[in-house]
Amino acid sequence: MAIDKVTSAALETSTNQPGFRNIIINGDMSIAQRGTSQTGTTSSGYYTVDRMYFSVSSAGTWTQTQSTDVPTGQGFSSSWKIDCTTANGSLSAGSILSVMHRLEGQMLQYLKKGTANAESLTLSFWIKSNKTGTYIAEIKDTDNTRIISKSYTINVADTWEKKTITFEGDTTGAFTNDNGLSCLVSFWLAAGTDYTSGTLATSWENQVSANRAVGQVNLADSTSNELYLTGVQLEAGTSASDFEFLPVDVNLDRCYRYFQMMHSGSANKGMGLGWYSSNTNARFVPVMKKTMRSTPSFYQTTSSDGFRLFTAGGGNDNITSWSVQDSTNKNFALGYNTSEASGTGGQVGYVLTNNDSNYFGLEAEL
Amino acid sequence: MIDTVEKMYDEGRFQCYKVTYVNSILLKSVPLDPENTDYQEIQQWISEGNTVIDNGE
Repeated sequence: MAIDKVTSAALETSTNQPGFRNIIINGDMSIAQRGTSQTGTTSSGYYTVDRMYFSVSSAGTWTQTQSTDVPTGQGFSSSWKIDCTTANGSLSAGSILSVMHRLEGQMLQYLKKGTANAESLTLSFWIKSNKTGTYIAEIKDTDNTRIISKSYTINVADTWEKKTITFEGDTTGAFTNDNGLSCLVSFWLAAGTDYTSGTLATSWENQVSANRAVGQVNLADSTSNELYLTGVQLEAGTSASDFEFLPVDVNLDRCYRYFQMMHSGSANKGMGLGWYSSNTNARFVPVMKKTMRSTPSFYQTTSSDGFRLFTAGGGNDNITSWSVQDSTNKNFALGYNTSEASGTGGQVGYVLTNNDSNYFGLEAEL
Repeated sequence: MIDTVEKMYDEGRFQCYKVTYVNSILLKSVPLDPENTDYQEIQQWISEGNTVIDNGE
């Protein structure tokens, strides 16, 4: 019998798993718009795998990579890897090493946090490290400064292990319903005594810093240390479902809300319309792929003459960087350069990358 | 970690901040949008007593 119609309800019934149940974006680590490797990392930021914020302070030097080392037979193609290149075996009180996922409050309203019907959350993930022992996973409500932390154990060195942790719902404090930061999901990897000297907050509580990461091993204590993470899923309820694989285009599209890399690592790639509003003012309209979380920053290199404006008359005007102006988070961004531009007012053209080390992106991260 | 922050002008208006980072080739042009987290980070950096470069229009 031919199938003539499949409803979304039928699909949900067939798997008993609603779509987009994973609150984590890019939990399979498959998207890495900024690049696949970053060396010498000693400060916090987004470096390789999209949506994975690396938080580090006085806790060693790290190389992070989008790795192809994955748990066998689970369907993953990528993992996020960090490798210690300069150790810190004596952490300072305020040392931090973690990877975190930052979430908008408007994405979390269905969790009913702050009500009697608050949903429990279950975090599941695959992890591997040579450094065995106790690790801490934490959920932090940044709107109400509340935390809950749970410990788990990496049991066997250099072996992929799947971990599942359930956090009860919090009946106190709602997430703000807007596009701002409301929630952090953190995988602690090292922590100073400011975060370890209390009693682990295994139930929701108003934040006491000393209760956040009690018992956490120090992954930064040797240059032999490395850690891999993939298959991160956070979902409502008290049990973990199978990892929700999304088509790569859907996954990438979700990442675009926070970051859009236009070009990297190649010269002579067109980036958008350009023109001269005067002889000394070049303009540039990068093409925004979709609405972003907020008005984006221009994310670019300090590379000298990294761009050029190629005009209808065949002229080339080298430009080092673009400044953002009159942009919104919806469809339109405008750049300008008044310090290097040299052309003819009214002349049009387009902007290209000018060397292989250059990149340009739009960033509206949390 | 922020290294320098500079006010950028065009046509007489303060348009954005130019930000460089310590030990990095990354450069950001940051819009004057309180929802932008780079903008928020700059305000925090200023509140810690750091100085924004302002060469005027």
